[in-house]
Amino acid sequence: MNKTKQKHSYTQRESLGGQAFNVFNALFFLVFALSCIFPFYYLFINTISDNTLVQKGLINFYPVGVNFKNYLSLRDVSDVGTAFTVSIARTVLGTALMVIASSFVGYLVTKKEMWKRTFWYRFLIITMYFNAGLIPGYLNMVMLGLTNNFLAYLIPGIVAPFNIILVKTYIESIPAELEESALIDGAGYLTIFTRIIWPLSVPILATIAIFGAVGHWNSFTDSLIFMQSSPKLYTLQHRLYIYLNTNTNLGALLGGGSVDSATAAQIMENTLNAKVIKYTISMVTIIPILLVYPFMTRYFQKGIMLGAVKG
Amino acid sequence: MSGAAAIHPIKRNLPGPGEAGIAKALYTLLRALAFATLLLAFLPFFNPARITELISKNLSFFTAGTSYASLITDSGRALLRGWVTEGAYKLLYAGSILGVLGILLVIFSACLSLGNLRFKRLSNLVLLLGGLLLLGGLVLVLVSRQQFLGFAEQDRVKPMFPQAFYAYAVLALVFVGMALALQFILLPKPAPGTPFEMQTKYRLFLMFLPFAALAFIFAYLPLFGWRYAFFDYKPGGTLNASNYAGFKWFTYLFTQAATRADILRVMKNTLAMSGLGILTSWVPMALAIMLSEFKSKRFSRTIQTLITIPNFISWVLVYAVALAMFSTDGFVNGFLSVLGVTSSQNYLMGSEGIWLKMLAWGMWKGMGWSAIIYVASISSIDPQLYEAATVDGAGRFQKVRYITVPSLLPTYSVLLLLSIASILSNGMEQYYVFRNAQNAASIEVLDLYVYTLGIENGIIPLSTVVGMMKTAISLVLLFVANNVSRLVRGESIV
Repeated sequence: MNKTKQKHSYTQRESLGGQAFNVFNALFFLVFALSCIFPFYYLFINTISDNTLVQKGLINFYPVGVNFKNYLSLRDVSDVGTAFTVSIARTVLGTALMVIASSFVGYLVTKKEMWKRTFWYRFLIITMYFNAGLIPGYLNMVMLGLTNNFLAYLIPGIVAPFNIILVKTYIESIPAELEESALIDGAGYLTIFTRIIWPLSVPILATIAIFGAVGHWNSFTDSLIFMQSSPKLYTLQHRLYIYLNTNTNLGALLGGGSVDSATAAQIMENTLNAKVIKYTISMVTIIPILLVYPFMTRYFQKGIMLGAVKG
Repeated sequence: MSGAAAIHPIKRNLPGPGEAGIAKALYTLLRALAFATLLLAFLPFFNPARITELISKNLSFFTAGTSYASLITDSGRALLRGWVTEGAYKLLYAGSILGVLGILLVIFSACLSLGNLRFKRLSNLVLLLGGLLLLGGLVLVLVSRQQFLGFAEQDRVKPMFPQAFYAYAVLALVFVGMALALQFILLPKPAPGTPFEMQTKYRLFLMFLPFAALAFIFAYLPLFGWRYAFFDYKPGGTLNASNYAGFKWFTYLFTQAATRADILRVMKNTLAMSGLGILTSWVPMALAIMLSEFKSKRFSRTIQTLITIPNFISWVLVYAVALAMFSTDGFVNGFLSVLGVTSSQNYLMGSEGIWLKMLAWGMWKGMGWSAIIYVASISSIDPQLYEAATVDGAGRFQKVRYITVPSLLPTYSVLLLLSIASILSNGMEQYYVFRNAQNAASIEVLDLYVYTLGIENGIIPLSTVVGMMKTAISLVLLFVANNVSRLVRGESIV
């Protein structure tokens, strides 16, 4: 009823309130953005600074005594190299398998001629919505002989229902005439897939490849659960977790006060060395993500928009 | 000639009248039997290669034929002491490999049998080979068994004869018989020059089949593990009539005071942390609106890029960041000492406010990414709406209030419903990495509890029961959320 009056007062305040909001808004997001990058910067300057200063906690905003020997000495830290290899291998192989399978299956399920297509498509997609649970899943992997086995990183991830939906939706948007003309020219389904569908789906395949690779690289729980008696197969994330945790335990031990001073000094030294080591391993674990990150941002929008589309 | 053949591809599939019905029935039977055999090969208690009690009770025929390490996993001592010889195991392994290969060939032949007569005759040969390989494998298993019977320490070697052996032998003989009957009696010879042909629908299906098999093995087969909930099972043990426990573990949840207290505590943590997540679920929408208010699109995009970074690092790395910032020798304490305040507090240790801390880390990691979903929705709002509002004299905040927010609400309601449906699934990773001796009790959510119970403490049946309950409740919630969405929005969310 007194809407006009309200509007009037609102408009009057707008310039001032709006400006205040603009300032607050910019400040808020600057702080938020800073909180998202400062920790990585902090880790980085601590790994390239003089280790004695790092140990004293004096490196807070800028590096002092820049050197890269921590990264070189990481070669001597047991198991990090192995874990790095495992993580790289599973990321490359696992992503490749997932992308090939998702694109092929995504193509097949667009084919209305397929025997009982709707049933089989649902058979795959419904697996997104139920889960037998952690323990039955674990026992299943034991039964298949996939525990303490590198294949446990690769095979369960080959069929990724969500990615299949994304590829299917994308392929459905490719003009059907392209495929029909190839069919008339006598091309088989495999030829059509490799010569027509695959090249035309590169954007969506790049999207699922990047997200799949990040998922593989970040994967921690499968290493934790399935590789219990094969430390050689731990992923880098698992190795990092162990190093981070060892440090915590040493700290707790010191706090207990149940050790003599010589042991404490030795533990202290180990703890402090562990600080540099854990920062360096953290950086090694983050750097690959930060390297592909600029490429990822290109596919953000696409991935999200497609994610909003249902199968 | 080939032109006519192409017009009537079906006709060539049919053998002579009368025989057609029998052959067709036999092929249907073959496909069913082949599938059943494959399933049997995955069942641990149905392993024809378990000819001694030294072999794990949880070893399936499939695993016996694919992993030698699994085959001898429980026999290390016996091998070391010389009670048995490696040769006997190698023989058993060879037999299992042959058997598994045979089963795979049978499956392959069942696939080929979907084609035309030419394919069907090839299928018969493959079936014959598969059946014979399976038989050969079983014979090797028998030979190996003779060796096991010949070892001196019989009470230690404990040879046995698995009942499954008979079933596999019968199946192998049936396969061989079917192959011979189909090849030499029931199916006619194809006309010379007949090409291999298969109907398009089956060709596409066969290309799809391997992936369906993978989905079956890794998503459906684990459901079979729910049977552990009904037995007094210990790791390395077996499931049989003597340790069948009925619903003991289900009632155990409610009758055992300690377990009941645990469940209540864990549920409280789970609901509290999920609840906090739901209460703050509007924040990404607000962030997106705030981001869209920047005049400079370039600034807005840069901010978006930066605040999305944490979403792409693992929880272990978030924990590493948390340590670097807030542990005893982290940034906060270092900065305080620069300011002259001596502080060596480890902000990560205590349990006070742990729910809020976990919420904060979750928001730090996920908010930027969640906001981008809404940014995308905002950019798809028709600009004419805003222009019309401007003409009507609407201010900046009114446009947000009357245009942007209502346009985002559908997306928000879907995400809200989905997060309510997954209220019990917080995942375990975040809570596992942040867990320590002091906060363990108040950080443990349902998923982490199942992990601790089942994997760390080895109480398989109880943890399976908890997992089953969780799955059941989650499915009901999803169903309800879906129906609510149908009622309110007129479309389903799954």
